[in-house]
Amino acid sequence: MASTAAGAQDRRIAAPGAAVMAARRGHAAFGLALVGPAFALMVLVVLAPAAATLVRTFFVDGGSGPTLANYAAFFSDARSVSNLLFTVEVTTATLAILLAIGLMLALYLRFSHSRLIGAIQILALFPLFVPGIVISFALIRFLGPTGVVPMVLRSLGIAGYQTPYLHPSGAVIGLVWENIPLTVMLLTAGLAQIPQSAIEAARDVGAGALRILLSIILPQLTRSIIVVISLNFLGIFGSFTVPYILGPAAPQMMSIFMQRTFSELHLGSIAETQAAITFLVCLVAGAIYTAAVFRDTARGGAAA
Amino acid sequence: MRRRRAAELSDDAIGAILLAALAVFVLAPLVCVVLWAFAEAWRPPAPLPTAWGFKYWGLLMARADVAAAIPTSLLISTLVTLLSAAVCLPAAYAFARLDFPGRRWLLLSFIAVNAFPRFPLYVAMAVLFLSAGLIGTVTAVVLVQLVFTLLYMIWIPAAAFRGVDPRMEEAGRDVGASHLTVLTRITLPQAAPALGTALLLTFVNTFYEVEGALLVGVPDVRTLPVVMLSLITGQIIIQYGAVLSVMLWVPSLVLLVFARRLFESRTFAAGFVGGSR
Repeated sequence: MASTAAGAQDRRIAAPGAAVMAARRGHAAFGLALVGPAFALMVLVVLAPAAATLVRTFFVDGGSGPTLANYAAFFSDARSVSNLLFTVEVTTATLAILLAIGLMLALYLRFSHSRLIGAIQILALFPLFVPGIVISFALIRFLGPTGVVPMVLRSLGIAGYQTPYLHPSGAVIGLVWENIPLTVMLLTAGLAQIPQSAIEAARDVGAGALRILLSIILPQLTRSIIVVISLNFLGIFGSFTVPYILGPAAPQMMSIFMQRTFSELHLGSIAETQAAITFLVCLVAGAIYTAAVFRDTARGGAAA
Repeated sequence: MRRRRAAELSDDAIGAILLAALAVFVLAPLVCVVLWAFAEAWRPPAPLPTAWGFKYWGLLMARADVAAAIPTSLLISTLVTLLSAAVCLPAAYAFARLDFPGRRWLLLSFIAVNAFPRFPLYVAMAVLFLSAGLIGTVTAVVLVQLVFTLLYMIWIPAAAFRGVDPRMEEAGRDVGASHLTVLTRITLPQAAPALGTALLLTFVNTFYEVEGALLVGVPDVRTLPVVMLSLITGQIIIQYGAVLSVMLWVPSLVLLVFARRLFESRTFAAGFVGGSR
């Protein structure tokens, strides 16, 4: 991961000065004063609303004391449950495809000697610079029923094209498109950490490419893969724009469900329960991500 | 020798296949949009538009919702970027340079922001805004959009400040420069390119942000992407979506050119590992 590399660099720079560290310690109050406003903002826009929502879901109007009534209502509603399951399905499918594409590209970028790797890297990172709404619209014009792909297929005499637009596969394709750069970046950074000597040593004793991949590369890449999966899970599970434009009207991803409940049906407290359930599903991925990144960060004494 | 040449050949062949697949998947849809933006007539069987021109640019700019959304979007993005910089840059400097009690836990809490799924968080804020009467105000949109700027504005600048050699700052202080002088004459100029990138990333990403603005801004405050969303899902005229895509994309291309030098640098990657979208 890039974070470990950044941390290593930081250690190297900071190493010479015990005096520097002593001077830094004197800045305790100053440091807290500088971080204070950002922390207050973070509490105001992240922690407080999330906590308020979670707490409120355990109370109902006119009821006394905490209750699970809101959650019982969610899980007894067939539409709510099917939306939740649909979100899990889309997220799982997208993650599997992303991981396959990401690993393929990252492995090629790491081990190829081709002159094409520069161009491949630029194309793989390019979606970073394209907003979700633009790519969603572009994919309608490309894969939609009147788009370029069906037009080309028809002119080639290939019939039976099923457009992914407004189908679950439309949401999956759009989400894969959006998340390729992050996946490739994290995996490339992870691969860069694996020493060339370990791979050469294995090759010297006669290990084939597959054996090297399974026994040397993948075990050392586990942490990167964990970060890729947890970060992408959070991003995809809570995604809105791409599935809103490209996905089906029913079932819906949870974010779209919440938006309709809040903005169109004006049912704030039900939207809150939907939000709280999404938070709880994402809690595991969030904890794994935070732990993995924090361990690197704390070890290097460096953020990011 | 022959074996090595064969290996090189298959290496290039795999690269060519990957490159072609990426070009079709990543670039072709975007090329298609650019064509649509300048097409005055394009019927499905024709491989290219049959009439080109700027007709739909004029029509789109003449729409009241678009004309109103442009200043709104610029105002909100500017406010968010400035507020975020004022609040986050000092924190970034502190995380990079100072040792203070609770540093680790504060760091952890900022990393944990990444671990919140974005949209449910917006819903939580929207419910609070509803009871405070803030729905449909610029304040609400600015507050919602500040959430994800925390990540760009802390991690990228922190990495930049850390990249400045502390020995240079020490040297400045040794010859009698004050802390403020050291900051403005040594630290800030060296960190400037990365700070510029962070500001630009924040501005561009705020400008494109649609979900938070849709949830708490509508109906009274509509940013350009929110208008675009309604034009796309309403399917009124294909060119409207295409022209807006090309228009909305201009700031992004500026970013691409500006950030190219930092593109492969560690600073840039660090921003995304610590603070992804």
